[in-house]
Amino acid sequence: MAGPSSTSVQAHNGGVHVEQLRLGNGLTALLAPMPGAPTASVWVWYRVGSKNEWPGMTGASHWVEHMLFNGSPKYPKGAMDRAIMGVGGYLNAFTDVDFTAYLSTVPASYVTLPLDIEADRMSRATMNQSEVHRERKVVLSEREGAENWPEFRAEEELWALAYRRHPYRWDPLGYPEDIRALDAPRLAEYYRRFYGPRNALLVVSGRFDRVAIARFIRSRFSRVPATGEDPTVREVEPVQTGARQTDMTGPGTTPFLATGWAGPSVTEPTAAHAMLLDVLLGGETRLFSTSSWGSRGDHPSSRLYRRLVATGLAVRASSAFGPRVHPGLFTIHAQCAAGVPLGKLEAALDRELERFAHDGPTRLELDEVREKIEQSTRLAYEGATRAAFRLGYFHTLAGAGLEDRLLRQVRRIRPEAVREAARAIFHPARRVTVRYTPQGS
Amino acid sequence: MPGVESPLLLDSVTWDGGIELIRQSPPVGAASFSITFLAPAGWGQEPAAQGGRSRLLSALLTSGAGTWNRAELARRLDALGATLHSDVSPENLSVTLWGPEAHRDRLIPLLTESILRPRFEPLELARVRRELTERQMRELRQPASRAEKELFHRIFSRGHPLRETGFGSPASLARVDRAALRRELATRVHSRGSRFIATTRLSAEEVSRRLSRALGDVLEADLPPPPEIPPRTRGSETPQRVELPGNSQSEIRLGGPSLVRSDPEYPAAYLANEVLGGRSLLSRLFQRIRERRGLAYHTGSELASGLWDGCWVVEAGTAPAQSGRVLSLLHQEIRQLGKGTLGRAELHRIRESALGSIELELEDTASAHGLAVEVAESALPLQHWTEWPAQLRAVSPAAVSSASLRALDLEFASSVIAGPK
Repeated sequence: MAGPSSTSVQAHNGGVHVEQLRLGNGLTALLAPMPGAPTASVWVWYRVGSKNEWPGMTGASHWVEHMLFNGSPKYPKGAMDRAIMGVGGYLNAFTDVDFTAYLSTVPASYVTLPLDIEADRMSRATMNQSEVHRERKVVLSEREGAENWPEFRAEEELWALAYRRHPYRWDPLGYPEDIRALDAPRLAEYYRRFYGPRNALLVVSGRFDRVAIARFIRSRFSRVPATGEDPTVREVEPVQTGARQTDMTGPGTTPFLATGWAGPSVTEPTAAHAMLLDVLLGGETRLFSTSSWGSRGDHPSSRLYRRLVATGLAVRASSAFGPRVHPGLFTIHAQCAAGVPLGKLEAALDRELERFAHDGPTRLELDEVREKIEQSTRLAYEGATRAAFRLGYFHTLAGAGLEDRLLRQVRRIRPEAVREAARAIFHPARRVTVRYTPQGS
Repeated sequence: MPGVESPLLLDSVTWDGGIELIRQSPPVGAASFSITFLAPAGWGQEPAAQGGRSRLLSALLTSGAGTWNRAELARRLDALGATLHSDVSPENLSVTLWGPEAHRDRLIPLLTESILRPRFEPLELARVRRELTERQMRELRQPASRAEKELFHRIFSRGHPLRETGFGSPASLARVDRAALRRELATRVHSRGSRFIATTRLSAEEVSRRLSRALGDVLEADLPPPPEIPPRTRGSETPQRVELPGNSQSEIRLGGPSLVRSDPEYPAAYLANEVLGGRSLLSRLFQRIRERRGLAYHTGSELASGLWDGCWVVEAGTAPAQSGRVLSLLHQEIRQLGKGTLGRAELHRIRESALGSIELELEDTASAHGLAVEVAESALPLQHWTEWPAQLRAVSPAAVSSASLRALDLEFASSVIAGPK
């Protein structure tokens, strides 16, 4: 039985007041009441993702994610779906390199239902042989579906090219060979090793009685044994000393380019610089916006759009830098317009990056992007699901206060500092490139 | 008093020229607003020789207006934390503005200018053509989109508004010039059949005043008549196979024509689709194809009932070697539904799930706004969302089975399997 629990009140997050609860078994819970909201959203974030896997075990975190829908003592197979969806709720999960998140959003009066389910499956999910075997076919099918998209193939290759030692080198879906070979006992062992309150963050947002829910959480989750081995990854990726590239071919439409450079981890001082660089080049405000990971469409005022799309060389061009626990990858993707050779597009991209690294952004450009970020964050906490996502995401990556810290930094960064960050990141010797040419083109 | 009502309660005003504005309160605590302009200018009525025209027009309506080019328009939106996006379907073309309610009065002119005075700049026209050309290629080479395109060609005969997917061909896109776009704008976008849907704290009268002040009496073209729907043709049990080498997975599409939204049996048909594959984790396809047999990661069904006609599509992605078996199971599940195998408990679960999920749509402005837009698109009564629960609760298991025979009719169905050999 776990020991006593404590509570503390955190600062505001996007105007949402958050209370932190800590149970004796190591579980941290964030409660974000939103009076008047029609729903409540319950998320459990495990600091376990594909970074915690090793060769032969790739795809295990994602497979465990699937298995947690296949039953637990109180909710046998199908019972979770029926319980949540039966009241009109929504449930899902996703696996990333750094974490796995399970979410349910329900009409507010049913908020205890997903909490009960999460407590039951935190360390007691069913992992029997036949279900693991059946789910193997499903995860293989998910991977095969992803392979139908050339962008997935190129992205997987890009990360494999960029990382030689660190587990970021494989996709969270895992290698098909590992998925075929991994058996139920090893998958169950992986689950028992990493999944537990010590590695979990529970987030509840929406309309609920704070005192009653805190009591309910204590009553359900304090019974969960204090498990969850430290998921810290010790492997350090050696500094890349020369450009790496590969050519791929496969199904597709027009040639495209996927490029990447080693970037900082989320806890490094330059993480905010890289995020700002991403908005300047590609235009997506990402975590500073309501759409978080999703795309908000074209960004005609961004650098890449103006140089590559508006000039007729590309049909799309984007950059991406997502903050990660370990040094991540700053990527740029661009797809040729029909009839444009890949080399011409790549040369134009290189020229733009050189120009940017040499001159940096103008003050006006930087001010506009900063304003765009400020405005985007204003609505970023609208709705219980979105609020729980944001609270959980930032906290899981680097603890409380990360979002505010990044925003404070973004407000202070000067044009010269962005230029310096661009020079450091877009170093030719640290570049990885995948050139994808469709079959028959 | 505006601002405290349920977003499920809609009201409307009609301008002097006959343009209707549907208004919805935003969800409690929401700080954003949204306005959609909906015009009867979808691709369902465009001539084959001008295929892609509606998609071109739709993209260009958010690509610069009045004195702002595309980049300047984007900068203004960014500075106010807003988005402006367009969409197009066989029946409608829409432009949606979303942003902070605090900036509403500075944002509304960006929407009205985009509708009234799109620039149709030659460089932008060329850019959108390039994007659509790539989309045409993608549609032919990507298994999921290719299967869907071929399915619609099999189930709808020439001239049917649901037969095409609106991308056109390289030749038809090249034929759509600025003059054609301006004609389309004047005759179908600036028409009396257009409507506005607003989710805002403003009253219907207040938002209407702001819009009509900017738009004046521009929306005056006569509403285009609905298209003629060709008679249905008998389907085929034998799937069309499209070989797309180099892919990993086969995509299966099975479908046929279905009911219009105004059909009295629509609520029962809606539930039939939810039981079959619409209500994700609870549906029969998900439970029996994925959860019991592990044959596919994704499988489900969709019922798209429009004003002119409807269609249903069942889908699954699976390993090429088992595509025949999965298609046979899809057929089997549809037949089972028509044989009266639905029990009261299963129907109750699906129905309560469907009804409960409406509450989830009220989390934020964008989702709630979608409910109001649906009312406008489907020409539903303003009280639709308050009456819908009773309509669904009146449906019996026998009615679902009976409706499935009409709404998911295998006699007019066809199938396509696209993927590697």
